[in-house]
Amino acid sequence: MAAPEAAWTVRGRGPARGGPRGARGPVLLLLALAGLWAAWVLRLDPRALWPDAQAWGLAGEFFGRAFTPALSHQASSLPPDTPSILTIALRAAVTTVVFAAAAMPPSILLGLLLGFGASTAWWTGDRESGGRRRFAWRRVLGPVVSAACRFVGAALRSVHELLWAVLFLAAFGVTPLAAVVALALPYGGTLAKVFAEMIDEAPRDAAGALAEAGAGPWQVFWWGRLPRALPDMIAYALYRFECALRSAAVLGFFGFPTLGYHLAASFENLYYGEVWSYLWTLLLLVVTVDWWSGAVRRRLAV
Amino acid sequence: MSAVRELRRTRPRSAFLRASAWAAGLLATASWLFGGFFQGEVWSARRAANLERFLGELRPYPLQDAPWSWRAAGEWAAAQWHDHLAHATLATLAISVAAIVLAGLGGAALAPWAARSFARPDPLLPSPRPVPRVRRAVWLALNGAARGLLAVLRSIPEYVWAFLLLGLYGPTVWPLVLALALHNAGILGKLGADTAENLERPALEALRAAGAGRAQIGLAAVLPLAAGRFLLYLFYRWETCVREATVLGMLALVSLGSWIQDARARNLYDEMLLAMLCGAALVIAGDLVSAGVREWVRRST
Repeated sequence: MAAPEAAWTVRGRGPARGGPRGARGPVLLLLALAGLWAAWVLRLDPRALWPDAQAWGLAGEFFGRAFTPALSHQASSLPPDTPSILTIALRAAVTTVVFAAAAMPPSILLGLLLGFGASTAWWTGDRESGGRRRFAWRRVLGPVVSAACRFVGAALRSVHELLWAVLFLAAFGVTPLAAVVALALPYGGTLAKVFAEMIDEAPRDAAGALAEAGAGPWQVFWWGRLPRALPDMIAYALYRFECALRSAAVLGFFGFPTLGYHLAASFENLYYGEVWSYLWTLLLLVVTVDWWSGAVRRRLAV
Repeated sequence: MSAVRELRRTRPRSAFLRASAWAAGLLATASWLFGGFFQGEVWSARRAANLERFLGELRPYPLQDAPWSWRAAGEWAAAQWHDHLAHATLATLAISVAAIVLAGLGGAALAPWAARSFARPDPLLPSPRPVPRVRRAVWLALNGAARGLLAVLRSIPEYVWAFLLLGLYGPTVWPLVLALALHNAGILGKLGADTAENLERPALEALRAAGAGRAQIGLAAVLPLAAGRFLLYLFYRWETCVREATVLGMLALVSLGSWIQDARARNLYDEMLLAMLCGAALVIAGDLVSAGVREWVRRST
């Protein structure tokens, strides 16, 4: 079917071209080759994907409990004052949410500071202010501050939150504060990168109008550029909260009292019903926040 | 000024957004107030001594109790690199690549079933004839099952997937690759379905009106239109795969993570830090490669 020229666009960047032209073909080919290379390096054997009979038995036992999670302890002898599974799951869920929620404000603050610094919008604003050179110092300072902020952000997020946690565990022992700082540092770095991109890629209509009306560069930035980027930034911060929930749960594997702690303990005792109780609790948490951030996103995108 | 005030007064407002903002603020404040972060001794003499010992042990082994020398530190790091870190870094990269290729295949296979505009008895355009109730129910169930499966896949963290799969497969490399692949297939499948749903409708509807079937529209229009976007997402996710591949190794005997865990267990914090730095360098290199490829894809679509 002959499509009319420029009948539709994929990303608002020119007409979509028919056929496998452009970068997609080569990139797909590269991906396939890279996959083969990885399989060769790791000696991946597709036959090993098919588990042996014993593993099948284990898998059957494990997934057989998926829809019958344990509502009471599977252990036969327990101290009389042990709280019920549901109480433990609820407490661990609350701790998971508390860790994630406590980590967000510092990481958003860090992300805003580094993200503002790293964005190019605040020091290349001359295009909008009609090329006036009153604030020439920004042109000198801007690239330096921007590069420094980018570097710090990249360094923070290049270390995984669990590795930060391992470092802090070794340095401070198991304290909840260490868990929150371990989450906040790499999340701050990630938020900084994304915030900077969002500020730089936000529509420039309002900024242009403000500059036309005689606003200075700072005014253009705070009242023109930033508000246009804000809805995307809020939506992304909410998505990171969802990620923080998952990370906080996993921190339990390192001794913090979140869902992962109980999940690992039950799995190692082969109490698969209990494992599924904790897994469903985690699923419920994540799906709830996913729904919430989706609802917020839909309302922000006017 | 009054015009501005009038504009402000009549701005669109949403009770849901307002409630969400309050809820988020309250949740964060309550977490800090009642989370017990400052209970007990946050700072004690024992903690300070512990920290000092730890910082001392971060120094490369030959330089502990000796003045700092870049040369000696470099030689120590090079020896570590040639001994095991080079191979572990390569394995970490390979795990992330194998996982993202599998995740891409899985996500692309599941996405059409999860896209609400296609996985229905009357794709894109209302059917001219009434759809039998059974067919409608079957498609609804298929769509719901695909969306539910993707939600479960992506809601379980990679680390938990790896932990569970290691219980099944034993300490080989497959559980790590599969854990990353499953979690990311859930994410890529969801993003792929969203992309397919958000494509410009008129062209697809024209194909449908001309009598094209679901498979024909999918292969001839949706796939080429959505492929660029999907590749962008794939490379974004690959960046996180590189990060995670290091960490998942802490559970098994491959990738940098296993050396981090090994050094941690033996209290050799200098070796642990060096392995972490190798992981960090790999992450930064991966980010640069991914940014380059994404720019290339973005320009050509």
